[in-house]
Amino acid sequence: MSHHYLDVRDLRYVYPDGTEALKGLSFRLEHGEAVGLVGANGAGKSTMLLALTGLVLPSGGAVDVGGTLLSKKTVDAVRRRIGFVFQDSEDQLFMPTVFDDVAFGPLNQELSESEVRRRVADSLARVGAEHLADRPIHRLSGGEKRAVAIATVLAMLPDILIMDEPGSGLDPYGRRLLIRLLCEFRHTRLIATHDLDMVLDVCPRTIILHEGKIAADGPTRQIFADTSLLESCRLEAPFGMKRTE
Amino acid sequence: MPHSIDKNIADLVNASGEALGSSPIHKLDPRAKSIVVLLFVAAVTSFGKYEVSRLMPFVFYPVAITALSGVRAGTVVKRTLLAAPFILLVGLFNPLFDREPLLRIGSFVVTGGWLSFLSIMLRAFFAVSGAVLLVLTTRFDHLCLGLEKMGVPQVFVTQLQFLYRYIGLLAGEAQRMLRAHDLRSGKNDRKISLSTYAPMLGTMLLRALDRATRIHRSMLSRGFDGEVRLLQPLSFKSTTDGLFILVWGGFFLMCRFVNLPELLFFAVTGR
Repeated sequence: MSHHYLDVRDLRYVYPDGTEALKGLSFRLEHGEAVGLVGANGAGKSTMLLALTGLVLPSGGAVDVGGTLLSKKTVDAVRRRIGFVFQDSEDQLFMPTVFDDVAFGPLNQELSESEVRRRVADSLARVGAEHLADRPIHRLSGGEKRAVAIATVLAMLPDILIMDEPGSGLDPYGRRLLIRLLCEFRHTRLIATHDLDMVLDVCPRTIILHEGKIAADGPTRQIFADTSLLESCRLEAPFGMKRTE
Repeated sequence: MPHSIDKNIADLVNASGEALGSSPIHKLDPRAKSIVVLLFVAAVTSFGKYEVSRLMPFVFYPVAITALSGVRAGTVVKRTLLAAPFILLVGLFNPLFDREPLLRIGSFVVTGGWLSFLSIMLRAFFAVSGAVLLVLTTRFDHLCLGLEKMGVPQVFVTQLQFLYRYIGLLAGEAQRMLRAHDLRSGKNDRKISLSTYAPMLGTMLLRALDRATRIHRSMLSRGFDGEVRLLQPLSFKSTTDGLFILVWGGFFLMCRFVNLPELLFFAVTGR
C-alpha cells in the first residue's frame, strides 16, 4: 500500500485573537495526485498549508500523512515526508550559497557526505540549476531562486509536495518552465495559487477554499466551468477556459 | 538624486563580487588570512601612544595584499575611510588636552597631543584596511566557515551569516519605503520628519520579525534542530597557507621589535 497519501479530517484552526481561519476541512490526496488549492485572499489557503506541516498546530481535526498522524511528537517525521515550497523564495533560501541551501535538509537528516552530495547534484539537475551550485543566493535571478527553492525541497526526497504560490513573481517564460517541471513530478502535489491557468495545466483536481471552508472539490475543468460558483468565491474563470468556450 | 541607500546596496553587491575573485590571495584558506589580519592588528596596536615612524613599515601589508589580490585600491581606500568619523572622534581631543611640546622643527612645534592623534589615526586606518581587505578577498561563507573551524561559537557565526544574507533585503525594504515616502512627500525637501520616521522604523521592525518567522518556519520544515550543519571542505595547505602566516607573522614581528625606519635612516645617511 502506498504511503504517499494525505488525509485531512475536519481540520480547524483558530488564531490567538479568536479569528476562525479553518472551519472543518476534510479531503484526501491520493498517491501521485496533483491538486490545485484556490481561493480568494484571506480564504485560508496559507494557514491550511502551515497547519498541514505542523508549522502552526491545528486547533482541531486530524492530518494523516501516509499513516502518520500529525501531532507535536510526530511533527519531525511528518515534515520529512512533506516538502514545503514557500511563497517567497527569499524566505526559503537562507544559506550563503546554493549548494549549502540545497544540502541543508539532507544534512539535517544526518546522511553521509557522499549521499548529501549526490542528493544536491540530483535535485539541482532536476530543476536545471546544476550550474548555480557555487553561486551566492543574493546573486540569483527570481526564476533561479524559485528553481533552487524547489531543489532544496526535492533534496529531502519528500513523498508529498506542498507549494504556496509557486508561480508568483515569475516572468512568463519562467512560469512556463515551472509548469513543465510540476507536470513532470510524480509526487503527490498540493499547489495553492491564484494562477488558475497554472492549475488548469498541472492539476486534474481542484479544491476551492472560501472563508475557511471547502466550497468545492472535484475535477478542475468541471469546477472552472461553473462561473456562478467561481463568482460566489470571488474567483474568475481562467483564460484557458475562456478560449475554449 | 538617489538615496544613499541605493549606493550602499550597490556597494554591498560589488563587495561580494570582489570576494569571488581568483587571485592567489583569494585562494588562501580563510583561516590563514584571518590569523594574519589578527596578527597585523595586534602588532599595529601594540606600540606606544606617541609612536608614528615605526608604524610606517606596516603600510607594506595592505599595499602588498591589494596589489597581489587585484582588488581596486580605490575600493580599499573608500571602505577604510568609512571608519574615519569614528576614528576622528576617538583621537579628536588628544591635541587639546596633551599640549606638551615633543618635537621642534625650526620654529614649528609638535605637541604630544598631535603625535598621539596621528598615531591613533595611522593605527586605526591600518587595522581597518586589514579587515576590509580580508572581507574583499574572502567569500563571506568561507570566512564564516573559517571562523567556525577556529572555534568561534556557532551561534555567532550563524548570526553573521544571516545578517549578511538578509541585510540586502532589509535595505531593499527600507529603500522602497523611502521611495514611497518621497513620491508622496510633495516637497522638494525630502527630509523625513521625526513623526514619520518613528512609525517607518516600527514598520521595518515588524516586517523583519515577520520575515524572521517565515525563515524559521522554512528552516523547521527542512528538519532544523538548532544546529546549522555545513558540508564545505576547507583545506589548510601548509605550503601556501602556512607560509603566508609565517612570512607575514615574521614581517610583523620584525617591524614590531626592530626599528626599521631608524636602520634605514642610518643606512642612508651613513651615520
